[in-house]
Amino acid sequence: MSAYAALTKASYRASVRDRTTVFFTFAFPLIFLVVFGLIFRGKTVTESGRGYIDYIAPGVLSWGVGNAAVFGVAFTLMQWRRDDLLRLVRLTPTPLGSVLASRYVIALAIGAVQALLFVGVALLPVFGLRVDATWPWAVPVLVCGITAFLAIGLVIGARADTPEAVAAVANCVMVPMAFLSGSFYPLDAMPSWLQSVSRVLPLHYLNDGISKALSGRADLGSTALACAGLAVFALIFGAVAVRVFRWSNES
Amino acid sequence: MTDDKTAGPALVLRDVRKHYGDVRAVDGVSLTVERGEFFGVLGPNGAGKTTLVEIMEGLRRAESGTLTVLGRSPWPRDLELLPRIGVQTQSSAFFTRLTAREHLATVAALYGTGPAGVDRTLALVGLTEQGDVRVDVLSGGQRQRLAIASALVHEPELIFLDEPTAALDPQARRALWKVLRALKGEGRTIVYTTHHLDEAEALCDRVAIVVAGRVVALDSPDRLVGAAQAPTRLLVPADRISVERARSFAGADRVTAEGGAVVIETSQAGPLLAALGAAVGLDGVRTRTATLEDIYLELTGSERDA
Repeated sequence: MSAYAALTKASYRASVRDRTTVFFTFAFPLIFLVVFGLIFRGKTVTESGRGYIDYIAPGVLSWGVGNAAVFGVAFTLMQWRRDDLLRLVRLTPTPLGSVLASRYVIALAIGAVQALLFVGVALLPVFGLRVDATWPWAVPVLVCGITAFLAIGLVIGARADTPEAVAAVANCVMVPMAFLSGSFYPLDAMPSWLQSVSRVLPLHYLNDGISKALSGRADLGSTALACAGLAVFALIFGAVAVRVFRWSNES
Repeated sequence: MTDDKTAGPALVLRDVRKHYGDVRAVDGVSLTVERGEFFGVLGPNGAGKTTLVEIMEGLRRAESGTLTVLGRSPWPRDLELLPRIGVQTQSSAFFTRLTAREHLATVAALYGTGPAGVDRTLALVGLTEQGDVRVDVLSGGQRQRLAIASALVHEPELIFLDEPTAALDPQARRALWKVLRALKGEGRTIVYTTHHLDEAEALCDRVAIVVAGRVVALDSPDRLVGAAQAPTRLLVPADRISVERARSFAGADRVTAEGGAVVIETSQAGPLLAALGAAVGLDGVRTRTATLEDIYLELTGSERDA
């Protein structure tokens, strides 16, 4: 078994054996879907004439996926460093890349399951999401989105030394971003300055890409734009993560 | 070209230094550890032992001086050297929510070796029965043995152990001694940090006593004890002799009453014992020669008081 496969297996086991975290990782976005779905049930957005659910579902999904990627990797990285597991890895001939690759695969798998589960529930008549045939465009956007948020999580996990610090920093990043990127309400109905602000936030591109894919407004150009936006954030935060990475808390 | 993998010393340090701020954690250490040697590193807490060993393991960079480990430089991280070294991990360093066997299999895979060694290593440290127990519910002693197993699973040539018997009960401790002697018997080199001086005396070929970042003594435990010329203590049951009478014997340098015994310190144990035997009999008389612990306390004590 390669080091990468072993680490992936170890991370997978650690994830599925933590039932509480598994439950809430998948239930958290669903709770938001239920709340916002029922509040705005059957309503349409005047500016665009589209149903609220067509905004809320992709928005909450993007935020849920991004949140899981950030928290998952930030907690693991902080914990592995605090418990000296990174020191253990450091003493073996395992490249750092294998450690990151194993987390990446886990994050992609969690994101895929989240997306399927979430869209499945949103499709229920009570929420009334309609999924257009262009939905496969959402896949590359999701992959790029998870990559970008994973990179953000790496930066947080590399700097924060306690679970409390991870939670504080990650929430501080993710909650305002959710509101500023229109995850919980239609950005189309918001003032134009807010729409401009959202363009510098990675969640906006994830929202936009998934929303267009699900509602039939996506094409190669729009998907490429969303992916490119996310890739820029992935590169920036990835570069920062490499710079601030620490094998142990001491040095 | 000859295979140089087993040639040359296991460790060569020449004037290795490292400081943190004003603290000279390692202050010019030079030493050589031969292949197959069981080498003890002793010293009070904060003496720089850990930093010194971490430099050898390649976890820290020496500021100056030269250092080779199995003929290679441990810094920067050398992926070819690392599989030849085994380091006892911290007892917290276990993969979350895995069982002991899964953890060890993961470590083996990280070292690029197959799972073949996993069960053998579990048996070696006496954890066969706990193989399927989750690491988070293992007892302190079991965690420690698993941490030791992490250092052995890939059959390294050079093994670093840090206080390996600290949390073990006496049986487990003796069982581990046996394992360590067997590893030495296989020709592996062991670098051993400990506070248990009896253990160092029983196991180590040579010990280095580190005080304030410097090696203040480096030799076999026997020779260290011999060279110190510490007095022998004779313990005579108190009902056999009085302190005053004991003082009258030739060679009795210092006499005190301790517990139920009169303790005579002497540098001429043989003649004094003969005289004592003739006068009061030797029944129940015990002799205490200096141990490594006495030497250690002598060497480290002055630094501590300072």
